[in-house]
Amino acid sequence: MTDLPADVPADAPARSARRRALPAALIGGTVILGLSLILAVFPSVFAPYDPLAFDYGAILQPPSPAHPMGTDNFGRDILSRVIHAYTIDMQIAVLGTIFPFVFGTAVGAIVGYLGGFAETIFGRIVDVVITFPFLVLVIAIVSVLGPGLANMYIAVGLVGWVFYGRIVAAEVKVQKQLDYADAGRVMGYTHSRIVFRHLLPNSITPAIVYWMTDMALIILLGSSLGYLGLGAQPPAAEWGVQIAEGKNFMTTAWWIAVFPGAAIVITGLGFSLLGDGLAEVLRARR
Amino acid sequence: MTADQPLISVQEVSKSFELKRTLSERFSGLPPRAVHALNGINLDIRRGETLGLVGESGCGKSTLARCLVRLYEVDGGRVWFEGRDIAGLSGTGLRAFNRRVQMIFQDPYSSLNPRMSVAQTLAEALNVHRMVPPGRVAARIAELLELVGLPQDAAGKHPHEFSGGQRQRIGIARALSVEPEVLVADELVSALDVSVQAQVVNLLLELQEKLDLTVVFVAHDLRLVRHVSHRVAVMYLGKVVEIGPTEELFRAPRHPYTQALLKAAPSLDPSQRSRKVAARGELPSPIDLPSGCLFNSRCAHVTAHCRAEVPRLEPRRGVHQVACLIDPSDRTDPS
Repeated sequence: MTDLPADVPADAPARSARRRALPAALIGGTVILGLSLILAVFPSVFAPYDPLAFDYGAILQPPSPAHPMGTDNFGRDILSRVIHAYTIDMQIAVLGTIFPFVFGTAVGAIVGYLGGFAETIFGRIVDVVITFPFLVLVIAIVSVLGPGLANMYIAVGLVGWVFYGRIVAAEVKVQKQLDYADAGRVMGYTHSRIVFRHLLPNSITPAIVYWMTDMALIILLGSSLGYLGLGAQPPAAEWGVQIAEGKNFMTTAWWIAVFPGAAIVITGLGFSLLGDGLAEVLRARR
Repeated sequence: MTADQPLISVQEVSKSFELKRTLSERFSGLPPRAVHALNGINLDIRRGETLGLVGESGCGKSTLARCLVRLYEVDGGRVWFEGRDIAGLSGTGLRAFNRRVQMIFQDPYSSLNPRMSVAQTLAEALNVHRMVPPGRVAARIAELLELVGLPQDAAGKHPHEFSGGQRQRIGIARALSVEPEVLVADELVSALDVSVQAQVVNLLLELQEKLDLTVVFVAHDLRLVRHVSHRVAVMYLGKVVEIGPTEELFRAPRHPYTQALLKAAPSLDPSQRSRKVAARGELPSPIDLPSGCLFNSRCAHVTAHCRAEVPRLEPRRGVHQVACLIDPSDRTDPS
């Protein structure tokens, strides 16, 4: 959707050098998420045990060479469960945000361009949604639809697009005042060309950055719902489910909850770093 | 159409912008107030001429320019293009009009899409209007760059890699890509350094000659307008107060406002300098317009008649048209 300047002019060495130096945040975020993605796609390659297999001979064992992250109350290997959870949690990050991002961005672009009545209606929808705490609203929708990941995606989709819409609408509203939008109109370009080819590429950066943050938040949300029993269902390996399972053993077997928690933190950090890095790279030069 | 029929004819055009009302104003039932940017403009633009449009800032020059290319819809009056009311155009008719009447914008920093390279910007215009077959687009872009005096390697660059003057050249290239007949240049060089203003203005003059363009040159710099225009229209508070051939208008201005404007222009020749304040006071608010002649609050020759009657733009001796109630020949110039 956004095209970065690919060609580097020969007569601008200083600028091209600056452009080649990618921000450290971008590199850090990409490395973390790249590794997460590899774990998510090929969990069995890296997991030493079956994540669901009970082993009553090795219950509640602390971290050891045989079980680097210990075992839980059924003797399941925590490391294997944490690795297998990448599959579900990365899927939550992508599926939980892709619809809000695409739909919210499109709606925001149109609303920001039209202004007037469309903007008033949209503003009221935003007001209604942001009045409720996000988590409470999602929990309410999931409890109506029933627990499970598919219903969680629906609940998040119903609510989440509003935030993207608000960001993009505000940005498009600023961009459409600029002369290049008027130049498009004088050229006789269609409204959709002006909105989607000219205004949106110049307005989408904050939405992309928010998207990265949102993926981190949605993993937390998925884990929260998993913890509450409304998201991924046990015995599935999912970080929130694992933390819920470990909460009763916090004082005696801290490793059951701590390692999945650490996985959430690291993945969230990866998305945040990627968001920061992208913000720097995508910033339009004037 | 006949040869002496104007290409564009502006008749009694008015345009106002409603002001946002505060909540308390809404509840107190006050009528919405509006900025009256254009108050009955009459103007003819002839094929092949350069018409200069001058006036203080806030006089409606840019609003009129935007009405000419239909960026704004007029509130009253009509803009005729080749005998057709442009407000009635839509669909292919409007697109054809857009192709034939192009605009160059004031701010070279915001008039180009920062995410598109020069080649992309030009190719889009060429493709949308099917100016050349797809295989010829690259060659045509090269021609356009040559035409506006940009190097060939500019095509792959983005706007941020250019200076203001070069960006204005890109803006000109974009407008010319669709081979228009009319070019509306809104403060073409006022955002540029003085050193490059002349280059860009001379480019415009050169192109006008080469491509037989009709140009509407909006500016507040009188010397610039004098340099480029065949005819000049002087605007005040959304009205044309005087219009005539450039040399005649500059040599013998008739309207008191034009006289004041010319006197206020700085001169390098000390003998030409005047310490007299040419026009008293400030520009009246375009929200609450004065009655009668709009210039009556600042005119040195004002009479009671001026506050009651609205002067019409009428021909005076010569080919000049002036909107003033007092005959300039009767008037004793106080300076």
